[in-house]
Amino acid sequence: MNTNRASMLGPYPRTAISVILLALVIAFSFSGLRNGTWVNLLSFFEWMETTPFGLIGKTWGGAFAVVEAFHLVALGVLGGAVIFSDGRLLGLFSSLSLRSVVDGAHKVFNWALITIVATGIFMVCGVAVKVYYLPVFWYKMLLLAVGTLFALYIRKPIVDRAPEDVSPAVLKLTAVASIMIWFTVAAAGRWIGFS
Amino acid sequence: MNQLIYDIAVWLDDSAWSTAIHESYYLYNWIEATHVLTLMLSLGILFIIDMRMMGWVMPNVPATRLAERLNTPMLIGFVVMFITGLLLFYSVPVRTSQSLWFRIKMVLLVVCAVNAYLFHKRMTESMSTWDNEPKAPSRLRKGALISLISWTVIVICGRFIAYDWYDCEYDQSELVRIIAGCVDGQTRF
Repeated sequence: MNTNRASMLGPYPRTAISVILLALVIAFSFSGLRNGTWVNLLSFFEWMETTPFGLIGKTWGGAFAVVEAFHLVALGVLGGAVIFSDGRLLGLFSSLSLRSVVDGAHKVFNWALITIVATGIFMVCGVAVKVYYLPVFWYKMLLLAVGTLFALYIRKPIVDRAPEDVSPAVLKLTAVASIMIWFTVAAAGRWIGFS
Repeated sequence: MNQLIYDIAVWLDDSAWSTAIHESYYLYNWIEATHVLTLMLSLGILFIIDMRMMGWVMPNVPATRLAERLNTPMLIGFVVMFITGLLLFYSVPVRTSQSLWFRIKMVLLVVCAVNAYLFHKRMTESMSTWDNEPKAPSRLRKGALISLISWTVIVICGRFIAYDWYDCEYDQSELVRIIAGCVDGQTRF
């Protein structure tokens, strides 16, 4: 395949950069730097509640609930795409072409993720100050960042290579990690509602 | 009929297990979280099948083979969803059985079940003729569209159950009271 083997980061430069980025995000989240940033973000969250999204979300509970339902439907579709694609990597649905399934599911995944983020922004605007003080909201954001970086810059470069170029164990490990990450993102999201 | 439903709901509500689930913060939330997270297995996979039939996604994956392969995980998802849904109803039976949204949701679930049966029957009958086409035949596309819309409305209704806008304990129009089957408001749940 056309990977840059001359790169000082080895055959997977995007993956290596993503791992470094992920490590930085996680280090930031569990360091003292986070507290300073968190305090400064309060005014931004207060502003979010004054935006049209915030006003609609706070004024009309029905509108908030409908957007939340679409958020859930998009979550379901994203999960379906992850299960289908990663299931195929794990050896399920083996009568279907691996390339067609993985590429097709990736497009579904992208659209579902865009819908989740768009509806998620609307929902946060309606309850911005409340979620600002919820630790589980920040865990969810961290997990979403990890999941997105993992899907686009670790999983995709690996599955884009020809199957014979990648160890089956690596493919299976990637699939298991992907399912676990997205299930955790969804569970953290659900727990916001219980907090 | 509404009185009978109410009596059954009260009988369920009187059981110790119903109270135990309702009053257990972690158990209730675990059941509800499982109900919602199983959307990824049931609804997500169903929507991928429906969107494939509509020609919106994966046009180069054989449609009926995709539907057949995804059938088992999807059904497992729906079984888990059904069991957790029953437990959620069992934990709050009186209020839920008199919820406008719950009743609309139940009617739509029946519509979806009939639609799924007809869809599967038509798909098996015409399987060999269009499997590699980007879109399924018109009759199947209609079924897929009904499924996509009905399930989206089911999720919306499911979300609305949590809100009390049309609860029987408040002043409601006669139409709402009839559809919700109000007998005794939410004096107990």
